Amino acid sequence: MFTYYLGLGLRHLRRNPILTGLIVVTLAVGVAASMATLTVLRAMSADPIPQKSDRLFTPNLDNRPDDGTNQDPRPPEQLTYRDAIALKNAKPGLRKSAVMRISPVVAPSRSDMKPFFGDGISVHADFFKMMDVPFIKGSAWSEADDARGGHVVVLRESMAEQLFGDANPVGKTLHLDTYDAIVTGVVSDQWEPLPRFYRLVSGPPPFRGVEDLFIPFNTAIANEMQPQGNVNCFTDPPPDAPPGYEGLKQSECIWVQFWVELASASEAPAYKDFLDGYVAEQRKLGRFPLPNNNKLYDVQGWLDVNKIVSKDTRLQTYLAFGFLLVCLVNCIGLLLAKFTARSGEIGVRRALGAPRRAIFKQYLVESGVVGLVGGAAGLGLTFASLWFLRKQSDEFAVLAKMDWMMLAITLVVAVVASLLAGILPTWRACQVQPALQLKSQ
Amino acid sequence: MLVMKKLSKVYRTENIETHALRGFDILVREGEFVAVTGPSGSGKTTFLNIAGLLEEFTSGEYHLDGQDVRGLGDVARSRLRNEKIGFIFQSFNLIPDLNLYHNVDVPLRYRGMSRGERRERIEAALAQVGLSSRMKHYPAELSGGQQQRVAIARALAGGPRLLLADEPTGNLDSQMARSVLELLEEINGRGTTILMVTHDPELAARANRNVHIIDGQVSDLVHEPVLRATAAPATATP
Amino acid sequence: MEIQPILLALRRSKTGAILVAAQVALTLAIVCNALFVVKARIATIDRPSGVAEDEVFQIQYAAAGEIEDRKGMQQADLAALRAIPGVKAVAAVNSFPVSTSGWGMGVTLDGKPGSEIPTGVYFSGESFVNAMGLKLIAGRDFQEGEVREVDDRTDARVQADVVILSGRLARKLFGNEQKAIGKTVYQGSGKDAQQMRVIGVVDTLLSSSAPAIDDYANSTFIWPIRYLGATAHYAVRAEPSQRARVMKDAEKALGALRPDRVLVNLHDMDEIKYRRYRHERAGANMLIAVTIGLLLVTASGIVGVASLWVSQRRKQIGVRRALGAKRRDIVRYFVTENILITTAGIAAGLALAVGLNLFLVSKLELAKLPVVYLAGGMAAVWALGLIAVIGPAWRAASVPPAIATRSA
Repeated sequence: MFTYYLGLGLRHLRRNPILTGLIVVTLAVGVAASMATLTVLRAMSADPIPQKSDRLFTPNLDNRPDDGTNQDPRPPEQLTYRDAIALKNAKPGLRKSAVMRISPVVAPSRSDMKPFFGDGISVHADFFKMMDVPFIKGSAWSEADDARGGHVVVLRESMAEQLFGDANPVGKTLHLDTYDAIVTGVVSDQWEPLPRFYRLVSGPPPFRGVEDLFIPFNTAIANEMQPQGNVNCFTDPPPDAPPGYEGLKQSECIWVQFWVELASASEAPAYKDFLDGYVAEQRKLGRFPLPNNNKLYDVQGWLDVNKIVSKDTRLQTYLAFGFLLVCLVNCIGLLLAKFTARSGEIGVRRALGAPRRAIFKQYLVESGVVGLVGGAAGLGLTFASLWFLRKQSDEFAVLAKMDWMMLAITLVVAVVASLLAGILPTWRACQVQPALQLKSQ
Repeated sequence: MLVMKKLSKVYRTENIETHALRGFDILVREGEFVAVTGPSGSGKTTFLNIAGLLEEFTSGEYHLDGQDVRGLGDVARSRLRNEKIGFIFQSFNLIPDLNLYHNVDVPLRYRGMSRGERRERIEAALAQVGLSSRMKHYPAELSGGQQQRVAIARALAGGPRLLLADEPTGNLDSQMARSVLELLEEINGRGTTILMVTHDPELAARANRNVHIIDGQVSDLVHEPVLRATAAPATATP
Repeated sequence: MEIQPILLALRRSKTGAILVAAQVALTLAIVCNALFVVKARIATIDRPSGVAEDEVFQIQYAAAGEIEDRKGMQQADLAALRAIPGVKAVAAVNSFPVSTSGWGMGVTLDGKPGSEIPTGVYFSGESFVNAMGLKLIAGRDFQEGEVREVDDRTDARVQADVVILSGRLARKLFGNEQKAIGKTVYQGSGKDAQQMRVIGVVDTLLSSSAPAIDDYANSTFIWPIRYLGATAHYAVRAEPSQRARVMKDAEKALGALRPDRVLVNLHDMDEIKYRRYRHERAGANMLIAVTIGLLLVTASGIVGVASLWVSQRRKQIGVRRALGAKRRDIVRYFVTENILITTAGIAAGLALAVGLNLFLVSKLELAKLPVVYLAGGMAAVWALGLIAVIGPAWRAASVPPAIATRSA
């Protein structure tokens, strides 16, 4: 019977083309608006590294002064240089890496390219394994280079192509700032963990911008590369503090991000205890005047606390679904008009022996068929909206992309919406009194 | 075949009550061809609707083919209608977007028959009314008489025991009317009970029994005065 | 007009009436809130930065190597820039309003912890007020003798003992701008607090981050500090009609001075504002699109239901006409019916609009909806309903009276 109803539904699309057309358009528009915003919302709240997002953590230590100046209950979002190094050298933690954004001058050996400012991050070698960074050529630098701040660099695929063309860059040198660095590996362009949780603080917006290059953290420090992000100093340096970069390293200013990978999520409390213990020890040396207020965030927690999904995005999504609701109500009226026009046929079918539930099924299926057509149109419109959104900003360029899951959801939403809209008109259709319909022809 | 005892149908709207049928008694035997006549508003269409389980009645009894229909739910009534009754209407009531084959198919779909069996029955029914060659055509392409014949095929396809016809020739010219009537007589000849509502006394004469309804009550006329009418002062004498 | 019979008749077509009213209600609720948010966004985008926006541009170089004589470089740059015809004023600056990158510090009235006001900080060894085209509304600009020099290679602290406040900050601390002159404020608090004396107040000066909430965005101050850092960052004020040409000349001039730097920023104030408010613009556009869509959908719904009723009531209309109703009586009937339904929808919609607004206030930090938006929304929706119903009403009026005599 279902195929029979399906056939009838398809056939009746042609009946009353204006009304059907209106329903399809209304549904398409409502579906497109809500699905486009949902796509963006979903991309924004996606887990950037689902295979281990519960094992990657970032610590925040509260090194603010105890003079009542800071009312924010949240501890500072980056570490001081000495704390980052201390945590890196400490035993706990499977893999650890500091992360600091840098912008060294890149002087390509090609004569036709002028020097430019590269956009990259300085990390420890552990970073690549921690974040599951895929290499298409070569590999990360050695432990030795990591520890002594060797002159090495890892390039991103597109940057490597820009600088070296088709040739294999591994082993070649690149002039960075004041020294020559050897390329040890090339990272695939496909590596796109969105949002870029590992350098969330004060970087370019988390959905835009890629790192062109990676150098060892110790190298950046040794070459006094300026941190390209927030530098927050909660206390002024003491009068005998060394000026310049050395002063920065010794200060209580926070400018280094730090990530640690644990063997499993259940080890988090133990690591947190370790952090508290470390801070307690440092307190004996006169630092960390405030009582323990340290936090350990996993990836999702970090994204939540940084409010990655902005209020605006949420507002837009609510609004789009409100729009879908109005479209749905509109469809109810239009379907009612469509079905009312068919009261004659309903009367005949009832007279010929169709029980009410058969009429219900038939017209519900018909609503679903219209919904499917509306969904297909809505899908097309969604693609168009997403294309349009991608033109609006670079941020949307990565977020506003449809995947198979969203495609399926779009069609399902359209059909469900039309079924919901169809319930009342269908129920009305069943109440048609055959006698009345057949008499007055 | 069809028995109604003291049947009443009252329409209530806000403050007004209309008695369409009152104390209606009738017995129709299997194989009869009954013409139901009466002035407008007499209740003959109501009688047909109730007989066809299209409407509920207010009080009394109605037995169809031995089964008491009182208290039957929508599903049971629909099934009864589907299996035992065939309808023919004045304005044909064919579904315009379906071709003849699919029109005749409609009642069979609600039986849950296999495709093969449906096909057999449809082809047989259309052959019976002489329209096999136009199976794929649409109602709009047919004349009035042909459309009525399709409606008859549709009514017959399920093999009903009772055929209810409401002014079957009302929208046809005399020639077409005659051919439809001949068809009905043929069907009746094969054993199907027919109840036909009509204005036309000529048509009524062709039936083998006449039932006259005035003011919601029966007065049997002519041929076989099988049942008594309830005492009604101004009605015609049997 | 005969309202009661219309209402009674509507009871028989309850469903259609309820559907239209529901759509009207939902649309009103959403449109009122959406337009309110749009207005807030546009207000943020349009607010004045304090800078002379048609005259000022930013030019910034980053060093490609070590630069020893930073002061010499800065002085050469400033001289070169001043030499360009059409230039009114130049200053070496640390950051630009609305440019998203800059300095932030805290300010207190008494140096005591717990009451720090977050502020944006600007400094220059030249007249920042002049170069940005700011408006002084109290006190005076800095004098040559008050300028301090700070080299980040040797000086750990950045501080000065006089300061110019933004109007909003001055009012927050002292009640009004004039009272602020001569008073003391502190940068920071506790034992690190630095004392400064207010010598001037400017009307408006947005911070570099320029958040939506004006109170935060407009709390800023200016220091007379010549900062010798690694970048060469300048504000140039030019004649509006010549600005584009001056910008090109500036790039040529500074590029010619030294080869060991890379141009990082060359934007006029309009571009800077455009980039900062991209997000707000996109949000506003989206909301406007949704509003238009909603209005169209609701209008189509009204047309649909009204058309349905016209076709269902053909006989009745014919009878009325046969009995002497003029065409415009029929039109008036449908229009009155429509007004009744939209009014019912609007009544429900007002409650929904307020409810939706409260929800958004709690979840998304929206402000409360002013009454004027509700009034505007109501008027718009009424008008929409009327426009939508005119077509079907006119068709109803064209139903010939002869229909009355034909049987159904």
